[in-house]
Amino acid sequence: MDEGIRIEGLSKRYGAGDTAVDALKDVNMSIAPGEVVGLVGPSGSGKTTLLKCLGAVIEPTRGRMTLGGEVIYDSEQGGWKTKDLRALRRDRIGFIFQAPYLIPFLDVTDNVALLPMLAGRPNGASRARALELLQALDVAHRARAQPSQLSGGEQQRVSIARALANQPPVILADEPTAPLDSERALAVVRILNQMASQYQTAIIVVTHDEKIIPTFKRIYHIRDGRTEEEAGEGRAIS
Amino acid sequence: MISLAGRDILHSWGKFVLTGMGLGLLIGVTLTMAGVYRGMVDDARVLLDNSGADIWVVQKDTQGPYAEASSIRDDVYRGVLGLPAVVQAASVTYLTMQVRHGATDERSMVVGFEPGQPGEPAYLVAGRRLLRGHFEAIADVKTGFRLGERIRIRRHDYEVVGLTRRMVSSGGDPMVFIPLKDAQEAQFLKDNDAIIGDRARTVANPALNRPGVPGLVDAVNAAQTINHSVNAVLVRVADGTPAEQVAQDIRRWKHLQAFTREQMEEILIAKLIATSAKQIGMFLVILTIVSAAIVAFIIYTMTLGKIREIAVLKLIGTRNRSIAGMILQQALGLGLIGFVVGKISATIWAPAFPKYVLLEPADAVRGFVIVMVVCALASTLAIRAALKVDPAAAIGG
Repeated sequence: MDEGIRIEGLSKRYGAGDTAVDALKDVNMSIAPGEVVGLVGPSGSGKTTLLKCLGAVIEPTRGRMTLGGEVIYDSEQGGWKTKDLRALRRDRIGFIFQAPYLIPFLDVTDNVALLPMLAGRPNGASRARALELLQALDVAHRARAQPSQLSGGEQQRVSIARALANQPPVILADEPTAPLDSERALAVVRILNQMASQYQTAIIVVTHDEKIIPTFKRIYHIRDGRTEEEAGEGRAIS
Repeated sequence: MISLAGRDILHSWGKFVLTGMGLGLLIGVTLTMAGVYRGMVDDARVLLDNSGADIWVVQKDTQGPYAEASSIRDDVYRGVLGLPAVVQAASVTYLTMQVRHGATDERSMVVGFEPGQPGEPAYLVAGRRLLRGHFEAIADVKTGFRLGERIRIRRHDYEVVGLTRRMVSSGGDPMVFIPLKDAQEAQFLKDNDAIIGDRARTVANPALNRPGVPGLVDAVNAAQTINHSVNAVLVRVADGTPAEQVAQDIRRWKHLQAFTREQMEEILIAKLIATSAKQIGMFLVILTIVSAAIVAFIIYTMTLGKIREIAVLKLIGTRNRSIAGMILQQALGLGLIGFVVGKISATIWAPAFPKYVLLEPADAVRGFVIVMVVCALASTLAIRAALKVDPAAAIGG
């Protein structure tokens, strides 16, 4: 399997001594480029901690993480491979949040174009890239609109476009369908699958949403900081 | 790269403009306070300029005629004229009083002068100079008097024959110029009842009303009625002669106090208006602190309202300095709007103030720099809060 995401022996401990809490215990995962997998588990099971470790916003205690074939963290070799975690997040990881969290004072195009601009691409090229993604996600007609003028589904599609803007090998989606009804939730999953396939991006979808869980071909269950892999139903979305 | 601050300001321009206007009115008050101080200094300088003198000769051991009372004989000028390098010397009187004008009265400084001599108003904006020896007046336009109107000073009526401009006392009261003799009467002559009372006292005084000395009591009464005092003598010296040199001669040989232009300016600005200047300075400091507190509070509140967006911006790779720059630019934008509104407001309302308000361009530049520095400092609180935001806050509940 080509490497989209590979996690080996990842652990995260909060605190020390008697009050220490092991949020992640020897987690192993592997997701291929173009694949969308579900990460499910009850509250407090370690889902968010895993996302934060993968998102390079907190440092794991132990283990090794590889994104797009490149080791980004190895506790045996001094931890993070780069000091500039900000650039790592910007260039190699896309984020989709529970709420879209679009920047309210930027229009739709600039919300998406902001990432390539932050990466140093010219404004014109960044906006062209944004329009291309908005086209692919069928929201190009709202390109000049303000986020507050969009429906919930449109906002989530714009946030997906933003996550894809710098062509990251990995997208981390944190309950992206939580605020949506069944129809829109399934539409979002269909889009994620399309985008993963089209841009060869590995996508992890953290979810509680019973409506979308059957659509994943592979699911990681996380409980008390440990993951178990299981085959999903991979139900087709009409 | 997109200007995040500019976009945010455009997105919520209504809030920005309204806040900027509120801040602007405060800045307008601050600029006006500075203008009031400048106006006081300018009034003092104008007073000295308009007197047309190089030296002020006043009563010994006083700092008259503006800062302290001064009384000298009205023939002193003759002796001064005899000194080397003195070109002109003339007596003047200054009396701040209520001048009757119809049913109302106007606070003015009544100046007694001799036509063609130092102390005469430098220029007229309407009417003519004094041609008669009595009961004509030239008034500053700020008195509100018009040509041909009659005004009352003490017991006599005067016709306004000329109008002048920017002739004010150091306190900002507009001047009314009348002939010296009339001004001496107005200042020193007692009312008729007091004169009759004094005469009765003289007649009743055996030392002054001696049998066998005819005419003594009449002479004493006449001396009491006529007053030969003035407040100062204004002196003009020949070109090329140092005023201080002539002033020293006057101090040494005439036993009077003499001030040069520089010394008089020192008395007026450093002493006469010093307390007012400190008062205004205190107001300026307080207004600056209040403005800074308002900007800090507004920017801090606006930043707290964007904590989630800031977390997202940091998570997706925005540099801390870009976020700090966004907040700083917003604070400076607010300051800019405030300064423009403040400057326009001050310019509009300054002429309506009863005293002269001088808005100097240099003060505006200084004010602009101070506003920008204050806004930059005020934004540090919000920047600190923004930089503390953890990008991890964007992930999870």
